[in-house]
Amino acid sequence: MFEQEDDIVERVIRQLRRPVSIDPGVDARVMHEIASDAAPESPARRPLLRSLPWLAAAAVLAAVVVARPWTRGGNGADAFQFVLVAPQAASVSLVGDFNDWDPARSPMQTAQGVWATVVQLTPGRHRYAFLVNGVEWRADPSAPRAMDDEFETPSSVVTVGGRGS
Amino acid sequence: MSDPMGIDKVEASDAELVRRIRTGDIGAYGALVARYRDRLGRYAVHMIGDREDAEEALQDSFVRAYRSLARCDDPARFGAWLYGILVNRCRTTGARAARRRRMFVHDADALNGATRPEAVERLEWTDAVDRALARLAPEYREAFLLKHVEDLEYEEMSRLTGAGVSALKMRVKRAREQLQKFLREAEHV
Repeated sequence: MFEQEDDIVERVIRQLRRPVSIDPGVDARVMHEIASDAAPESPARRPLLRSLPWLAAAAVLAAVVVARPWTRGGNGADAFQFVLVAPQAASVSLVGDFNDWDPARSPMQTAQGVWATVVQLTPGRHRYAFLVNGVEWRADPSAPRAMDDEFETPSSVVTVGGRGS
Repeated sequence: MSDPMGIDKVEASDAELVRRIRTGDIGAYGALVARYRDRLGRYAVHMIGDREDAEEALQDSFVRAYRSLARCDDPARFGAWLYGILVNRCRTTGARAARRRRMFVHDADALNGATRPEAVERLEWTDAVDRALARLAPEYREAFLLKHVEDLEYEEMSRLTGAGVSALKMRVKRAREQLQKFLREAEHV
């Protein structure tokens, strides 16, 4: 038997206020889509890493990597930001041949599960991976896979174009 | 500390994150998406009634907000500004496609316990609420959700929807009356 009107409506309100679980892949898909944009109010539009198309597949995961030119550095290097959406991780480090695979050199900072760090990359091919919680070596399965890894750990490849890319 | 939307501020403020985004820190936008995803997602799911369409509307709203960030005049009120984008996006979705309703299980507990009588009763109630909500006119549903579920003040609702306060009060009142009527009808089916 239903209650008085106010009781019914209050019960409806309590029901509708319950949390609704939203696919965390929304985060990844948003980050993927805006990765192709210039930063808002950014004075210059810069080319993206050539490896970005694999983000389309990565977007179905709860984690995604966004790499984009950040600022121009010396010696032909540009600074690139790497972003990993990993809400469950306690720590994440970016490791690659650009930092001698040393997790202490590029620890990622988090804001509500979004981990980010900026590294200098010179034009060319770079191998990289993410070290999650200090033990889990993670390469995105849809990223180009490094086939020449002598350590037999999964790693991905990004290719940084030159000035004209 | 809360902003005018009643959203608690933790870690970096919205204004700080917006400032970082404007200097090119795309990761800061990820933090804003994570911050507002569930609350705005709840509104979209209830307003549109279809989870896939709601998540598409939510995703599109976040992307539109990023691309329009230069027009966010008060970064401290980013949440309210984002809400306005989502409200409009939900209206577009509702006008574009016939409303499709799907019954969905709200949490793992409900799914796992659906064979228990109390769980079945809860799912029936949830479905009855979803169906009653779906029968409301979109402007009534919008006003009811913003007022009673999202807990907004009428002045804020007026800014988001473009409707006057008195009109919004009338819509909320009608929504309450109709929800009660629809749920009583459901009881006798």
